[in-house]
Amino acid sequence: MSAAAQATVRDQPLERALREFDTAAARLPETVVSLAARRRAAERLGKLGWPSVRDEQWRYANLRALERIATFLPPARTDNGAAGGQAAALPALPAPLPGFQRLIFVDGVRTAAAPPAAATAGAGVVGALAGEPGWAPEQRLGLLGEMFAQDGAVLQIAGEAQVELLFVVSARAARAAVYPRVQLQLAPGANVTLIERHLGTADAPALVCATVTAELARGSQLQHYRLQQYGPDIVFSDSLSARVQQDASYRVRQIVIGADSTRTSADVRLAGRGAAVNWQAIAVGRAGQVHDTTLKVEHAAAGTHTEEVFRGIADERSRLAFSGHVLIQPGAAGAQARQSLRGLIEGAGAEIDLRPRLEIHTDEVSAQHGATTGRLDENLLFYLLSRGLDRATARALLKWAFLGDVLRAIELPSLREQAERSTAGVLQDVLAVGALT
Amino acid sequence: MSAQPASALAAKPLLQISDLHVKAGEQPVLRGISLAVRTGEVHAIMGPNGSGKSTLAHVLAGRPGYEIVSGSVSFEGRDLLALAPEARARAGLFLGFQYPVEIPGVNNAYLLKAALNAARRERGLPELDAFEFLALVRRQMGLMRIDESFLGRGVNEGFSGGEKKRNEILQMLVLEPKLALLDETDSGLDIDALKVVADGVNSLRAPSRAIVLITHYQRLLDYVVPDCVHVLARGRIALSGDRTLALELERRGYDWVADAAPG
Repeated sequence: MSAAAQATVRDQPLERALREFDTAAARLPETVVSLAARRRAAERLGKLGWPSVRDEQWRYANLRALERIATFLPPARTDNGAAGGQAAALPALPAPLPGFQRLIFVDGVRTAAAPPAAATAGAGVVGALAGEPGWAPEQRLGLLGEMFAQDGAVLQIAGEAQVELLFVVSARAARAAVYPRVQLQLAPGANVTLIERHLGTADAPALVCATVTAELARGSQLQHYRLQQYGPDIVFSDSLSARVQQDASYRVRQIVIGADSTRTSADVRLAGRGAAVNWQAIAVGRAGQVHDTTLKVEHAAAGTHTEEVFRGIADERSRLAFSGHVLIQPGAAGAQARQSLRGLIEGAGAEIDLRPRLEIHTDEVSAQHGATTGRLDENLLFYLLSRGLDRATARALLKWAFLGDVLRAIELPSLREQAERSTAGVLQDVLAVGALT
Repeated sequence: MSAQPASALAAKPLLQISDLHVKAGEQPVLRGISLAVRTGEVHAIMGPNGSGKSTLAHVLAGRPGYEIVSGSVSFEGRDLLALAPEARARAGLFLGFQYPVEIPGVNNAYLLKAALNAARRERGLPELDAFEFLALVRRQMGLMRIDESFLGRGVNEGFSGGEKKRNEILQMLVLEPKLALLDETDSGLDIDALKVVADGVNSLRAPSRAIVLITHYQRLLDYVVPDCVHVLARGRIALSGDRTLALELERRGYDWVADAAPG
């Protein structure tokens, strides 16, 4: 194949997306994203071009899976909201957590359920988040969300709130794309626990392109739990942008186990003095799954703090990647950053790529990073076998122990149990639930 | 085996090692070990560093990485070397590690219960529920002076050297093996901890079991009195005798044994 022909193949998804956008733009709801903003997003995507494996930030993403998506257009909305008349196609939803208010998106459209009382939820205020998030090049798939979103929620929260967001996919999404979209605005001093779950499946390849933005005002706290357990047909693009102001604290616990492939593109800006982010993530890959995360944290103010933990297990032929880029700007004296990235390779054809990166432009910082990838420690395995545990249980226990740091960081007991059960399910050893300290 | 006590001669050995040759990589480590251990007996295997003591223990427990060149090992008449490590454990063999590993994240209680129930299944006994298990473990923890909070911690996580060794003995007491191989369990213990460990080992002594103590020093043998003492040198048993041999080694060191060793 000639270079020109290769380029044509590579450009196909972009051309298709732009062409489809041109045909559909006028029909997409102006109240969710203005037509002008949609056009700006399309223009920017056109300029940036489609991601390529030759780009370091996209090298490990499953771009081929994106090529299998038949159309970037969302399925047509039903008159009474997406949930109407299609309850049978929905997966069983997890039991509600006590004290949490639920907001459900089905195929990118909110159901009629009441919005959380502590929040004002509504479309049409998308521009309120100090303009568009301005997705970075490594987050460019977020632009698809700007272009095609059918619905969105803006949650403005003051005081304390516990909110559960369900991003559900139904069979209607098969061979199409859905664009759930949430903007969070935490008032000064707000304390919010947000659970964001991704579940459901289509019977054919479908793109879920979720965009979440969070603005944490001074002194606010956001505990953000993200549990992705889509079915195997889903190609998932997850764009997250957060801005953390003075003395605000952003804690993320992310568990990625589902979907055919996942690309998380996250960008956190520690904008105010003393702002902190604590990001702890697990990814488990099986079969041919690809889970790729790029997380960029920018320290733009003094005394800012980053803690990053990633634990990934790659089984069979799966591929995991985590790129953690911490950028400490000249004004960020006294910044602290710590990255601990670890991968465990279980499958003969599996691959893990961990890229910690500290870019420091000031003195007086404390920064450390570590990244290791390997197989299960034979000494630990022998110890457990010598106590009579069968090999499968011993291996499962050690995998649990490996993921334990992050699972233990889930402070909500009921959610932790659900997360453990989900993870145990993909590790194919539910026996080990309860084995963690 | 001139050192075998006469009372045991009639019994069939629980463990019979016959002319065992083992290599680690290209290096011969065991060069013709023969040893019979009968139920009711306590054997001590002593020897200088590098004589093959720990290798012997690990080969018996089934650690990978060793090549069995020749020889055989039978345990209750079964070919021990043909069994996987977990099958050896369930058959009643316990290895107390010289350097017990830390497994942060795996709960001590979970490991103990899983190990105990694996052994019970093997013996055709019903599994213990949480209450029965706790009652059993509490008793043994008291003996080993281990605080109950240890159960909820990670396996050996953050334990001191002495705590790790006591935890090994606790596991042994809970699992009630037929044959306990204790690899330098006394190393690094102060005298109080040594006594606690010795009490634990002595409490396991029974006509139906055997214990093999692997040790560099004879100190432990003041508290756990062996029936037989063997000295390993250059991968062979150079000398066997009763407990007075241990005292002699304490006085004279190991050099004379190495010199006396055949080959």
